[in-house]
Amino acid sequence: MDFKLLFDKAKKKNVEAIQVHLEEVQEIDFHIFNGELDKHQLADTRRLSLKGIYDGKMGKMTTEDINDDNMDEWIAALIDSAKAVESTDPVFIYEGDTDYRDIPELSQSHLDTLSHDEKLQMTFDLEKKVKELDDRIKISQAFYGEATKKVTLKNSKGLDLSKNVTNALLGADCVAREDDDSRSSFEFVQSNDPADFDLNKIARDLVDRAVSQLGAKSLKSGRYDILLENRASATLLQGFVGMFKAEAVQKGMSKLKDKLDQTIASSNITLVDDPFKLKSTKSGSFDDEGVATKYKEIIKEGKLTTYLYDLKTAKKDNVTSTGNAFAGGIAPTNLYIQKGNESFDALLSELDNGLVITSLQGVHSGTNPISGDFSLQATGYLIKDGEIERPIALFTISGNYLDMLKQVDSVGEDLKFTFAYIGSPTLRINNVIVSGE
Amino acid sequence: MIEKQTMERVINKALDSAADFAEIFVEKTLQSTITLQSDKIENAVNVDKFGIGIRVAKKHQSVYGYTNKTDEETLLRLATDLAKSFEGERIRKKIVLPEAEKGEKHQVKRRPDTVDIKEKVALVKKANSAARGYSDEIQQVNVNYSDIVQNVWIASSENIHVTDERVRTRLGISSVAKSDTDMQSGFNAPGGHYGFEFYDTFDVEEAAKEASRIAVTMLHADECPSATMPVVVDNGFGGVIFHEACGHSLEATSVAKNASVFSGKKGEKIGSELVTAIDDGTIENAWGSSNFDDEGRPQQRRVLIEDGVLTSFMVDYLNGKRMNEEPTGSARRESYRYAPTSRMSNTFIDNGESTFDEIIAATEYGLYAKKMGGGSVQPSTGDFNFAVMEGYMIREGKLAEPVKGATLVGTGKDALKKIDMVGNNLLRAQGVCGSLSGMVPADVGQPTLRISSITVGGRKGNA
Repeated sequence: MDFKLLFDKAKKKNVEAIQVHLEEVQEIDFHIFNGELDKHQLADTRRLSLKGIYDGKMGKMTTEDINDDNMDEWIAALIDSAKAVESTDPVFIYEGDTDYRDIPELSQSHLDTLSHDEKLQMTFDLEKKVKELDDRIKISQAFYGEATKKVTLKNSKGLDLSKNVTNALLGADCVAREDDDSRSSFEFVQSNDPADFDLNKIARDLVDRAVSQLGAKSLKSGRYDILLENRASATLLQGFVGMFKAEAVQKGMSKLKDKLDQTIASSNITLVDDPFKLKSTKSGSFDDEGVATKYKEIIKEGKLTTYLYDLKTAKKDNVTSTGNAFAGGIAPTNLYIQKGNESFDALLSELDNGLVITSLQGVHSGTNPISGDFSLQATGYLIKDGEIERPIALFTISGNYLDMLKQVDSVGEDLKFTFAYIGSPTLRINNVIVSGE
Repeated sequence: MIEKQTMERVINKALDSAADFAEIFVEKTLQSTITLQSDKIENAVNVDKFGIGIRVAKKHQSVYGYTNKTDEETLLRLATDLAKSFEGERIRKKIVLPEAEKGEKHQVKRRPDTVDIKEKVALVKKANSAARGYSDEIQQVNVNYSDIVQNVWIASSENIHVTDERVRTRLGISSVAKSDTDMQSGFNAPGGHYGFEFYDTFDVEEAAKEASRIAVTMLHADECPSATMPVVVDNGFGGVIFHEACGHSLEATSVAKNASVFSGKKGEKIGSELVTAIDDGTIENAWGSSNFDDEGRPQQRRVLIEDGVLTSFMVDYLNGKRMNEEPTGSARRESYRYAPTSRMSNTFIDNGESTFDEIIAATEYGLYAKKMGGGSVQPSTGDFNFAVMEGYMIREGKLAEPVKGATLVGTGKDALKKIDMVGNNLLRAQGVCGSLSGMVPADVGQPTLRISSITVGGRKGNA
């Protein structure tokens, strides 16, 4: 694409400044079901997003029909978009920062050390291992997906950035069945290094999770002390990411308004947004506005230190952008609760009597990101005298996320990330409302 | 767009292998969204999607590729790469595509891409003013207008060659009410397979006020108690429970892999005899309707459950091969970026005989879930959870105080059996359903009905 031609054409149409964001993605995926290659996918796509300032307003458009002949149409659409905007918020096309962190590891994938056939074989092997571990595993699937994403960001003020990220995901899911009861589970590893794909561990963890849930029943309603296991805690955090966005705060849509420098969580809670985490597709040295990304502790030892900002919201609060402009709004990069130093087993024996919550469902509907309230379906184990007594399911835990953060008693060392690169270690929380029978 | 001869050459290239099926899906989509926040138009964005998906299969095994580089050379190369998965002697003869059949139903009067953006902006502002004006307690209103014109060309070795235009529009209003101590939100989002004339078919201001009414009502609501109790689920979006807890388990996507609680249960009684459930992709101008499914087969009306007996699954071509069943025109996909699979269209529980008043009067104590929020389900177990957006307690057969923060938890197969009253006021509402083949528009629906006993999780503690 001839970017210079586009910038010149835009200028002639009185577009004051224009920026292009081009994303090019190549993907391969395999899906193995019952010992067969069930699905195999190849993709090669491009998406071009333009934004430009016209008459003081920001116009935007996105196209996949990328052809230099369409440039005039794009600019016309951009101008139409800008004309419709009424918001008087300041708009920015950014010149760029002086320094961007170099993260060569993101693009230096080791995935090429395996051939296409070896990757396929690895996925077959994983599915086989899952099935062989326990004869109650009735359904198993394994999948491998690999994507290379190239992002190019250029603007008429001279910004010229690009990044390349290659990453893969190897995972499996299974259903265990006994009598009339079925239980499923899901495990995965995301990395750009095949050395991280430990098939035996993935299969073992996966099968353990499904089989140990067989026969799960509800439990008596009441208040219980819980261990919110790493992945369940990360899932819950995912439901409340919106609270930390400056846009929500400025519009009065977050309970964290006016809470900067105040204690909002227990002193063992530090919440990090780390754009430099390796082996993550969310990492990079710049955001979608071209601002250099930064490592930050949003909550430091219980104290709220910052919100997540883009250029517009930062200007309003008279601060600098935290480099969190992504996907047309504000988003974290790799967001996680920093790990503590207790092992899961130590936490379990200290719990004595209570519940381990291993997963939470329905986060998109059972959480209120404005108020922090949640009521979510859960599964896990009932713990008696520090030991697992039985699996439990079909109950809900409820509360308020901000209240809960203040009541975190201990933090585990077992930091784990979700699909969306949101992470948490296991947390011990007391006196949680449980509705069951 | 892409010439018939090119489509034919791509399919034949893919069949130059041991594959027994090849398909090409071409899509050109124009999407426009307008968002309003804090009384001002914040964004007006057009998105232009254009791409091609090629699917090649042998029996039930498939490979899929997609690209938005659309020259014939790229497409033929992609077809060749995909066919490599099925090495061996050619088994299908060269195909000749029939002339394209064009979908004629669900006509629209004003294609949204021909409507001036000023008119769309005026609509958004009208909704905003109405929602704001409902009460002084309304703190924030967001309005999100969207329309989409999706043109698809689908051809396959099954002697299929069709073209279809899907035109949809939706207006989402979300209101937040605030007091000194609490914030609550309400949401309403009518939509349909219509052009811009859709907004002449109902009172836009009333629809906007509805979002504010829910938010304000919930602001003054008590926390819902936790207990197992009877729940009366109201008509319209209440159908989301059936959609999530049973509908997904009736899709071949999970049935064919024996991953559904309903696998192998056709002809068996799986629910209360008061329950008849239908998935109908042919309803004129309904949100989840289209002329053809995304494998190019005509959409159908499928009776899934009749008087409690499982009568039909929703089946796509490949899963049909696995199950040894004919496809039911149920293959859908968000875009060319997804291979199609069996999905719901407009799914609802059919009318029964009770009136709304009879159902409430017959309930001594329980929860009335007037407006449901979203939820999710684990298809292998049927375990589900749903948020109640607007709820009221029922005491002594009468509606009592509003309650907030309730979640319903159960399993689909139990809940279906526990439906003990079904109303006569069927209503459908619009949703966006996410699954393997992406996000697709789908209607949910039901009359008011009662589930005799279900776990209600709330924050008030135990009742």
